[in-house]
Amino acid sequence: MDTNTVNYQEEKKVYYKVLIGLLLLTAVTFIQPHMFMTGSTFMAQMLIAVVKAWLILMYYMHLKGEKLITAMVWFSLALVLVFFIIVIGIDVSNFQYGAESPITAAAEHGAGAVNTAPAAH
Amino acid sequence: MGHEYVPEIATDREGNQHEVQGWQGDFYGGKLGFWLFMLTEVMMFGAMFLALAYYNALHPQDFLDASASLNRLLGGINTVILLVSALTMGLGLLKMRAGDVKGAKLMIWATILLATAFLVIKGFEWTAEYNHGIFLMHDKLLPESSLPFGQKLFFGMYFSMTGLHGVHIIIGIGLMLWLLKRINAGKVSPEHHLLYWNIALYWDIVHLIWVFVFPYYYMIGAGGATGGH
Repeated sequence: MDTNTVNYQEEKKVYYKVLIGLLLLTAVTFIQPHMFMTGSTFMAQMLIAVVKAWLILMYYMHLKGEKLITAMVWFSLALVLVFFIIVIGIDVSNFQYGAESPITAAAEHGAGAVNTAPAAH
Repeated sequence: MGHEYVPEIATDREGNQHEVQGWQGDFYGGKLGFWLFMLTEVMMFGAMFLALAYYNALHPQDFLDASASLNRLLGGINTVILLVSALTMGLGLLKMRAGDVKGAKLMIWATILLATAFLVIKGFEWTAEYNHGIFLMHDKLLPESSLPFGQKLFFGMYFSMTGLHGVHIIIGIGLMLWLLKRINAGKVSPEHHLLYWNIALYWDIVHLIWVFVFPYYYMIGAGGATGGH
């Protein structure tokens, strides 16, 4: 994409269309907990956020048509995910001090222990 | 529009002047480099989201209760403010590229105004929370308080992440003021707008982070969970 040439009216239209889309999605964010997927609000909210993020990335951040930068973003995100999910995931699942840690111990011992756990510090 | 680009000049030992051939002349490279910087931002906030998700998995009900007690109206207003500010910044860049320097500067000022409004609203929100005893190392978030531990984790992360996001907003305002100064000095022009492009990208990443911060903190408990304090 040649970023130095500009079709002002055309690009302005795109900006406003994306704004309307983002405003609509923000409205959906507010009505979702009362309207649909009420049993899985977290998933629904994250899904809406991903759609909003995609619009911002493609149109406001001009990723549309930028093959090299898009490839670099995907590669880097995949790398981050590998470290976050696999490497840290293995580390967390093999956490040796679960019983001593106020964070994990509080969760393991239920609500009654939750209120008193932080006193460990 | 009569806005002339003033190149950076370096003088050698003999007193000869040379035009600096730097990043302003390498549009794609400058843009690529800034994307790499933004990926480090994603990693930083990503690590915080990871910690948040881990705590959430340990204390799901506490997270819902704490989320339900946040002020969704103020959070929602701030969401719309950031959304509109991303538009003004983008339109400003578009005006600059089209040669309308005055219009571009006006759009930058509009973005600064919106960013300031965001911070003011956040300030009101934090003040209200402080008055309810909810703040870092204060009252209900102290280890000895009876607030459920999961809620303490939630609010600890909430203040850390929205605080760090707020710092990014302040940096963004600073960058925009600097951009205005560079435009006035003739260092940024319709033909040399890489700095504007990258600051607009920075503003978009700040907006993008909020797109995930807002639902995770304000909306997950909106489905009828009772407030925790």
